[in-house]
Amino acid sequence: MSGFREVRLAALKAKIAALEAGGRADSESLPFGDLRLDGCFLGQGLPLGQWHEFTGAGMEVETGASPAAFAALVAAPLARRGEAVWVLRRDDLFAPGLSGLGFPAERLIQVCARDEAEALAVAEDALATAGVTAVFAEVEAVDLTAGRRLQLACEKHGATGFVIRRRPYGGLGRQTASGSAAATRWKIAPTTSEPAPGEFGLGPPRWRVELERCRGGRPGAWLMEAQAAFTWEAQDGPHPLRLVAELGDRQLAPAQSVRLSA
Amino acid sequence: MRRLSAVDKAAAAAGLYPGQKATDAAALVPDLFTAEAEPEADATALTALVDWSVRFSHAVATAPPDGLFLDITGVDHLWGSEAELVADFRARLARNGLFFRCAVADTPGAAWALAHHGKDVEIIAPPGGQADLLAYLPPAALRLEPEAAAQIERLGLRYLFQIIGLPRAPFARRFGKQALLRLDQAMGRAEEALTFRRPPNPWFARLAFFEPISVLEDLQRVSRDVADKLCARLELESRGAKRFELTFHRLDGKAYPLTIGLSIPGRDPARIAKLFAPKLETVDPGFGIEVVTLTAEAVEVLSGRQARLDASREAALEEGLAPLVDRLANRLGEDRVWKSAPVESHVPEQSARPGAPLKPSQGWNPETPRPLRLFRRPEPLDLVLALTPDDPPRQFQWRKQTHRVRFAEGPERIGAEWWRGEIDEVRTDQVRDYYRVEDQEGARFWVYREGLYEAGVPARWFLHGLFG
Repeated sequence: MSGFREVRLAALKAKIAALEAGGRADSESLPFGDLRLDGCFLGQGLPLGQWHEFTGAGMEVETGASPAAFAALVAAPLARRGEAVWVLRRDDLFAPGLSGLGFPAERLIQVCARDEAEALAVAEDALATAGVTAVFAEVEAVDLTAGRRLQLACEKHGATGFVIRRRPYGGLGRQTASGSAAATRWKIAPTTSEPAPGEFGLGPPRWRVELERCRGGRPGAWLMEAQAAFTWEAQDGPHPLRLVAELGDRQLAPAQSVRLSA
Repeated sequence: MRRLSAVDKAAAAAGLYPGQKATDAAALVPDLFTAEAEPEADATALTALVDWSVRFSHAVATAPPDGLFLDITGVDHLWGSEAELVADFRARLARNGLFFRCAVADTPGAAWALAHHGKDVEIIAPPGGQADLLAYLPPAALRLEPEAAAQIERLGLRYLFQIIGLPRAPFARRFGKQALLRLDQAMGRAEEALTFRRPPNPWFARLAFFEPISVLEDLQRVSRDVADKLCARLELESRGAKRFELTFHRLDGKAYPLTIGLSIPGRDPARIAKLFAPKLETVDPGFGIEVVTLTAEAVEVLSGRQARLDASREAALEEGLAPLVDRLANRLGEDRVWKSAPVESHVPEQSARPGAPLKPSQGWNPETPRPLRLFRRPEPLDLVLALTPDDPPRQFQWRKQTHRVRFAEGPERIGAEWWRGEIDEVRTDQVRDYYRVEDQEGARFWVYREGLYEAGVPARWFLHGLFG
């Protein structure tokens, strides 16, 4: 009897997984190359063919520099595989900066939309285009309907969306979308870098990365570093991001301890 | 009743004039040789002359039945002066047996008046000087209906100087708005739009309808049909075009042109019709549309491409990305879709410029750290604590928040590119010393001090960008 139940349960689970993958049997993933991070995801890596949300903290809510840098690094291997589109609402993305981090900026198509609705529509259009593997969208918030539409566009050709939440300068904080259709939600904050001993100046850029939500996986918090930023090696590492340390519980990991390690 | 429509020199000498009754003329000159007037052939000949005159100006309009307007703004210097241009023009026409009266003036109206009623066969009015030359011309020089001109003359106003001085409102009431408008056009007080003949475009397709159409679905269908028609011809001659103009001609003569652009030359009718589709809503069909035309511009050679047999993972450019770029560029505007291309410049804001979205471009040197967000205008920093001349800031305030600098890198001195402009314009206050700094929380900034260090002058600091 119990065996029968297990078989049925397993069949149901497989059915749901197939539905969630949008009818495609194999949902691909992009591993970070570190088990401490990859283990959080169902498919041992960042799920592709879905969209992910990146938010900043403090002043980054408006400037959106760190979330953009982190999203670009996460997506860099994807962008080398196909075409990448970056949808902006404010034209301040500087391609040489992306290039220095190790993102193939010379292949990136930038689009500047006039308003939020147009930015989402452009992102959706780009996601549904054959040959496009990564689409970045700088928008204020994605509500459930828009999120669902993005998801459907992702499933069309397996493109992956990277939504960078960014408030317009001087704009009032809008109601944040509560339930989100994103596959994962990340919170990115810059943190003090650590120059190699004897080196002068700044170390490679570092971020406190919190995986707040992960569909089918578990959340976590880490300290990550763009290991080869501003060198020629940035272009061809296996993955431009390196995990420096695991931050056990994100509530309990105070900023102080990070500074001590510096 | 048959009348003379034109007379040659010998006939004019015999006292004949256009408009004379044919029987009267035959009575005066018994051996008069007449030929049938062919107004249509005249119009065709005039059009041919317009096409020929393009060598003098790209903007040529006909002035039926027997005249031409040439817009020679900015062209005359190619001949040396207006007089030399006119001389060359007349000489070339004379070689073909055509003798013209010619006038150059500020306005088409004044030029017409001087050419038709001026004393000489060749008059060049100095800029702003048409009033003096027009003064002793008859009212008919204003391109009025013969009755209107006759009416003005009947009142004793034989010369234009008498009219020019009249109060406007009573003049308009007495002789009609048309007369006032013509006067204003001649004097340059009112605009006049000439319909310049456009060079014939061979890439043109036209569909006329038996019944006028007005429903949106019909417009969509005919835009596809006319695209099919033109693209079939493009395909036949292995051409593709980058710009298409679809024009809907309404029953009342109004035309609604719509244009789209492609990033790479194309001739796929489905794709072209699709790009027009969102714009069709702006067309007001009125009482109906009777003709639709489509022209292709920027036509280039485009060899046929075979659809691929192998289902490769990597989609071809013309299947995926190019249609997307076209859709976005047509919807948002061409300047809103771009790919950054490197420029050989040390000035950071000039080292990347928006380029064509589908053009392959080179990368940048990753070893010079550049910020991810670059401000269009560097933002001034307040309360900067720094040891001049060479030290990076220790602390600064930006947007009312104080940042204590933990690490700093620099300076990277970037000066104005003296080799690009005049050497006298280069100043030392254009020099910027850039520092990459990290504050106590890890946020990374790109700040610079403007100008060289001078004792006693407070240094000015700016934030130019943010690293992620």
